[in-house]
Amino acid sequence: MNEIVKFVNILEPRNSQFGIFKFMTRSWEPTKTLTLDKYYFPQELKKVVADSVYIDAFIEKESIRNGIPKEQLRKEVLDYLEEIAMDKKLHVIRWMGIVFLKICFMMKIEVFVNESWVLKLKSSMGKNPVLFLPTHRSYADFCLMTYLCYHYDIDLPAVAAGMDFYSMAVIGQKMRETGGFYIRRTLVGAPLYSATLRHYVRTLVAKYSAPVEFFLEGTRSRSNKSLPPKYGMLSMTLLPYFASEVTDITVVPVNISYDRLMEQGLFAYEHLGVPKPKETTGGLLKSLHKLNDHYGNIYINLGDPVSVREYIGHQLPLSAEMLKPLDLQQLSADQFKSVQDIANHMVTMQQNCTVVTVSNLLSIVLMESLTKNEALILDQVLEKIERLIQILRALGASVFENNVKSSVERILVVHKNLMKVDGKNRLRLVSSALVNINSDVQKKMKGHVLKAETIVNAIPIIQLQLYVNPVLHYLVPPAIIYLITARGVTNKEELSADYYRLRKLLIHEFFHLEKTEEITFNSALQYCVRNDVTSPTYTPGSAHALHTLLRVAVTPALRTLLTCAEVMAQCKRCEHKRVLKLVQERVENGRYHPYCLSLEAANNCLQGMTLYGALVKQRSKQQQVTYDTVPIKLEECRLLISSILPRKDVDFGNNNSVIFKQDDVKAKL
Amino acid sequence: MSTGMITSAKNMLENTELNKNNNNATMQSDQTITFSDKNKKREVDEKNETIIKVKSVIPRQRQELLKWYGWGYKDSTFKLSDGTTFFTGDRYIISGKSLPHAQQWVKEIFDIDLTIEPRQPKLPSSFPSSRLPNNIKEELEKISLLSTDGVDRLIRAHGQTLHDVYNLRNNSFPRIPDAVIWPTSHDEVEEIVRCASKHKFVIIPFGGGTSVSGAVTCPANEDRPIVVLDTSEMNAILWLDKDQLLANVQAGIVGQDLEREMRLRGFTVGHEPDSYEFSTLGGWVATRASGMKKNTYGNIEDLVVHTKAVTPLGVIQKSCRVPRLSCGPEWEHIVMGSEGCLGVVTEVTLKIRPLPPVVRYGSLVFPDWESGFYFEREVAKQRLQPSSIRLMDNEQFRFGHALKMEQSWGGVLLDGLKRFYITKIRGFDPLKLCVVTLLMEGKAEQVAESEKKLNSIAGQYGGVPGGAKNGEMGYTLTFVIAYVRDLALDYGVVAESFETSVSWERALALCRRTKRAVREQCARRHITHYHISCRLTQTYDAGCCIYFYFGFKTVGFDDPVHVYEQIEQAAREEIIASGGSISHHHGVGKLRKKWYTNTVSEPGRRLLLAAKEALDPDNIFALGNMAFDQYSPAVKSKL
Repeated sequence: MNEIVKFVNILEPRNSQFGIFKFMTRSWEPTKTLTLDKYYFPQELKKVVADSVYIDAFIEKESIRNGIPKEQLRKEVLDYLEEIAMDKKLHVIRWMGIVFLKICFMMKIEVFVNESWVLKLKSSMGKNPVLFLPTHRSYADFCLMTYLCYHYDIDLPAVAAGMDFYSMAVIGQKMRETGGFYIRRTLVGAPLYSATLRHYVRTLVAKYSAPVEFFLEGTRSRSNKSLPPKYGMLSMTLLPYFASEVTDITVVPVNISYDRLMEQGLFAYEHLGVPKPKETTGGLLKSLHKLNDHYGNIYINLGDPVSVREYIGHQLPLSAEMLKPLDLQQLSADQFKSVQDIANHMVTMQQNCTVVTVSNLLSIVLMESLTKNEALILDQVLEKIERLIQILRALGASVFENNVKSSVERILVVHKNLMKVDGKNRLRLVSSALVNINSDVQKKMKGHVLKAETIVNAIPIIQLQLYVNPVLHYLVPPAIIYLITARGVTNKEELSADYYRLRKLLIHEFFHLEKTEEITFNSALQYCVRNDVTSPTYTPGSAHALHTLLRVAVTPALRTLLTCAEVMAQCKRCEHKRVLKLVQERVENGRYHPYCLSLEAANNCLQGMTLYGALVKQRSKQQQVTYDTVPIKLEECRLLISSILPRKDVDFGNNNSVIFKQDDVKAKL
Repeated sequence: MSTGMITSAKNMLENTELNKNNNNATMQSDQTITFSDKNKKREVDEKNETIIKVKSVIPRQRQELLKWYGWGYKDSTFKLSDGTTFFTGDRYIISGKSLPHAQQWVKEIFDIDLTIEPRQPKLPSSFPSSRLPNNIKEELEKISLLSTDGVDRLIRAHGQTLHDVYNLRNNSFPRIPDAVIWPTSHDEVEEIVRCASKHKFVIIPFGGGTSVSGAVTCPANEDRPIVVLDTSEMNAILWLDKDQLLANVQAGIVGQDLEREMRLRGFTVGHEPDSYEFSTLGGWVATRASGMKKNTYGNIEDLVVHTKAVTPLGVIQKSCRVPRLSCGPEWEHIVMGSEGCLGVVTEVTLKIRPLPPVVRYGSLVFPDWESGFYFEREVAKQRLQPSSIRLMDNEQFRFGHALKMEQSWGGVLLDGLKRFYITKIRGFDPLKLCVVTLLMEGKAEQVAESEKKLNSIAGQYGGVPGGAKNGEMGYTLTFVIAYVRDLALDYGVVAESFETSVSWERALALCRRTKRAVREQCARRHITHYHISCRLTQTYDAGCCIYFYFGFKTVGFDDPVHVYEQIEQAAREEIIASGGSISHHHGVGKLRKKWYTNTVSEPGRRLLLAAKEALDPDNIFALGNMAFDQYSPAVKSKL
């Protein structure tokens, strides 16, 4: 994504006296994804599903299995469809559009879109179903693609939403009426529901002429970086292609990058293990006053549309499934593999579409200065950012930024609760307000019961890390190479072997495709050599600034990994939740980088170690996960990590000179 | 530069190697964690999604419900007590009823003293030991349920030919299978067949065991171990499409189970051979079966849309499920009628029809066979056949009368009136008249319309309506007649049926000549008491199916089965000479193989052996039916 793409602020034309109202009430003839003889209304779709041979056959089987009368099961299916199905209404869409724009202006948001790509996609629509697969970093994602489609006269996507919205008063229904449909998180133990959902989604893709949108990662990524994909929804949505119901399906990866996440505070608490409050309409209204603030820019970057047909190859091996009635056709094992392949590919495409924002750049610089315990004056910061832009561009990132100085000033307003320039013109991290940890909160903590001080110190740094994370997939490969060479390595074989092992251990933390690892490694190595990160003989080079940057990028993850390995080496056999607690406790006592307290990161590391073969995972009937160690493998990976992990650790507590204590301000006032 | 490239290429190679190792490690660890388990579970879940499991009427231990030494249910037999005849059980219309006319008929035709204690066989207690080596047995047990129990093997060593039943009653089989295996799915069958190819043992597919051609009978001279593959556990309905009117069913499903499950859901397959209570879908396909109601639903080849069969060299099936195909010879028809010699049919996609709202029986009485015959010809010509239309000759009509139940005085009166009208007013000779039975299905107005038309054609040929009750009796007796042979054997009468297919213009002569040939054969052997009768059971545009019944009293013969076989052979020679075929729906099996090559021509025989070579070169399915006994791996060079 190195080429210069023109981003257009699609909210700008609305920012006039009657802009909003006029735009939302205009006559609207959207482009459809399918040209059909008969277009189904949302209500008709439900009927198609309820009357399908598949549902019929499934009810038949369920009735025999449970002895429940067929009529009752049929009613259940209809109830499920009421729960699931979307119910698009244009007038609601118009009203919601007005509300959306009002809120955007209140939040002072600008939405930038790579317009030419949208128009290109739009011009190719009409031949086959289209899937939008955006990254999921914030609840705002739900509205953004829908608004984008309204703006460009594309039929509004049917968006898969979790059940947490379903139970929200008014909003739940309104989302349904703007094209949302609801899916339960787990399908286990509800075969009839799962059958209904599967067939509804399949019918939606095959017979409805609007795009279908869902989040491949399955949930909002609390860490603001890509999660490994979930395969369920993609299997359901691609089935019409494998069943030859449609000629092709176009899959569009979309990256949505935020200058500021509305949820950043909540996410930080979640990393630490404090459960998030349930979504309620009341809660949403309460948070509305918070919206009267600066939220910066949002970048919606549509990636190259992928034709499933071309991706898999034209020659579809005919599966035995084709002999079944169309409605009853399921994915064969091979086809499911293709689906997994596409899903993984899509997540990496989403990563490649990342738009690096000034928030990200500023956060990286600030994080580096925190780690060095050395506050920088603003001019140094600007200089570092310029340098960072060059580095990231060289690593393949697209940075959409022309005027760094003004942008930094803008971001300092947007993130005024997180960072500020102090009286000496130095960039500082703002510490969070003291929190009151009573026994009630302690009881609710998912992990280790952390000290109040730890939490206070950790919250701002974790929030800062959230803006470092989206860029890490560019930095991790050269960072690992650098750390291995810094430890000392005899030849390229040893280097690559250690590199692959570490990448495997970190695959859940830093998602990547294993099959392209060789290319990634070679180009990262080339980069390192070219930029004197390492010498051609694999000894450390003299690019010290780059060294620091790379070290900062990967240290928290490696520290978490090592802590997990150490905990497991001690326990031999341990239940999942307990490992997380022990890891948090160890990190707290060791005063390591606060991001290492993240339960998500610890979980990712445990998964990586399981994949590596250092741990064996077992699930009990109550779905409780336990790990057993494979001592030789575990020791092997513990040694590997500790050999490259930088020993130097700074105090991330109150004594760090980069942290600006809020209480001081209050005291002064 | 160039050297650099070479080293980097070498490195790349090694890296891939390393990657591979890594991947292997991944896979290994994957196996131990839940991820792969999840995947597996997912597959199973999805595969099973719409399968309807069927509980069969017939248990795995067939002998618990079925007669081990003859036909049908244990609880259903003819019984004689206190001078009256009963049919026991409660399964058929005549069950539990007294049959007042039976004794007189038996006395008259077979001259049997019914006061003599009947000869009923005892279940053998010792059996030839199983030749299946232990290692193979263990391997098979890992795939499916297996038994080497003697009774299990004995009752699957045979079909229902007279020869089989005689051997069974005398425990004189030269060879019985060495094991019985019950696979539950196509995949298991594939594994079993692979195992057979590896260890070189013989597989005999076994469905309902109702073959009347010796097709399923254990080959006597087989030295290799023989494993019977009993398909009865493969009886699930894999899917059912109410819009397409299709069902995909595992081939081991028993006819009555299939029909019951379909009826429960408002459909019918409509395939009702006389054996359909016991025979299986796979068996129908393997013999090219025909059902009573073929006029409405078609014979098996019309009903089947798709078959899947496991042969030693792979699974044979078409890649698409389509209504018709012009793509060279239809290889599905190699499987259909292969009589178990090429592989096992595992799954069949069948047409299904909505249940007809009205089912009505009817009968027509004709003064003689010839007028009845021309009536049938005319109905066929006009293509007005109802679901079933059959013509019984006079001998068979009287035999049917013998199985009539005791009736209330009203019934007697009505029957008397009817008889009075037919014999006295219409002047039909009771020793010449013939009866046509009808089974009509459809919407009320269609049935009424059909009945009206049939009656009017009957009128043109001198026929008069004989009532619905007589029609219904005629059809239920179809199922009961099979039980008569067991009774007959108890009292020293051997009886058997045989059928043929013949063109319309040769049919009358064929019936006459065949009956005469049988009578001559009996006279030559001084057989005085016997029964030979025929009926016309199916009509087509180009001809009909004729069904003969023959039985005789065996007193004075050392080897009555052999005598019977000689007479039937003579009858068959006469049938062939009259332009008839060696079979209409019973198949060739071992009984009729001597006429096989003549029927299909020499190139036809070679094609058959070529199919064997192509699908089963090691002769795993060594049943030796048709011309397959001429196959030996040595034939390879000739072909």
